[in-house]
Amino acid sequence: MARKQMARALPDNWEVEVSFAKHGEEALEIIKAGGAEIMFLDLTMPVLDGYQTLEAIKAQDLPIMVIVVSGDIQPEARDRVKKLGALEFIKKPVDKEKAEQVLMEYGIIGGDA
Amino acid sequence: MPENNEPISLTEDERDCYQEITNVAMGQAADRLARLLDVYVVLPIPNVNIIEISEFNMTLKALEDADSVSAVCQGFIGAGIAGEALLIFNDASLGDIAQLLKYTGELDQHAELEVLMDVANVLNGACIQGIGEQLNIPFNQSHPVVLGQHCNISDLINEKQARWKRTMAIEINYTIEGHNVNCDLILLFTEDSVRHMNVLISYLLEDD
Repeated sequence: MARKQMARALPDNWEVEVSFAKHGEEALEIIKAGGAEIMFLDLTMPVLDGYQTLEAIKAQDLPIMVIVVSGDIQPEARDRVKKLGALEFIKKPVDKEKAEQVLMEYGIIGGDA
Repeated sequence: MPENNEPISLTEDERDCYQEITNVAMGQAADRLARLLDVYVVLPIPNVNIIEISEFNMTLKALEDADSVSAVCQGFIGAGIAGEALLIFNDASLGDIAQLLKYTGELDQHAELEVLMDVANVLNGACIQGIGEQLNIPFNQSHPVVLGQHCNISDLINEKQARWKRTMAIEINYTIEGHNVNCDLILLFTEDSVRHMNVLISYLLEDD
């Protein structure tokens, strides 16, 4: 269901290929295989949670832009993921406007997308 | 509504959906507690299960090692859905929480009760309302009631056995980073409520 909500929140007509990972480890494999440029990352996950995934990305210097999408709205969670290299934090349930605004802010999509 | 006596069950998608709804609600509750106590609350993956009340103590994995626990329960009801929120503390946590709440003086049974109620008011309320918001249901909550202080988990459950048989149990184990605080928030829904909620979440699970 988190996937559906996330997929629905992506801009319409955005021509990208979307892959889903069950947990952080699977996400890292996709990134290492060159299968992603932008990642929307949850924090609460089995195997490898969001924080550990960010640490691994940092340690291995993987080329990926990370936007964290989480229900953990504690200020501390936002600070921590930013320190670990996430571009932005979006609270769940994610809405389309917020996702679009963040993607625009970082120049990932154009203003008239 | 037609009578439905089928035993309740959950598909994988439904379980995932309740987990996701709980994830958002428990995050809101944790945020309230984090701001109140100036701490970071560690959020787990919530457990969602259909259980017989007789197996209830077995579902409380997080607290199975606790020698003694204290618990507060709070009912909620709205639009065809009724349940109970149960907040169970490992008693070993009470000292640390009292300190975080800046209680001074001796931590006697009365002070402990206040600590329990303070945390229950924050966590239960925010979590129940968080779930209600996502399902578009305004829940009414009863006042929190103490189920027991310094007892073991099986003592708590006997009190409920008369009223519940099969239920959906959502278990959230909250811990506080850097402190010895461990409590379980368990949401229990009646069978009819689960049938009704399964209909409500089917809209969230629909494909575009």
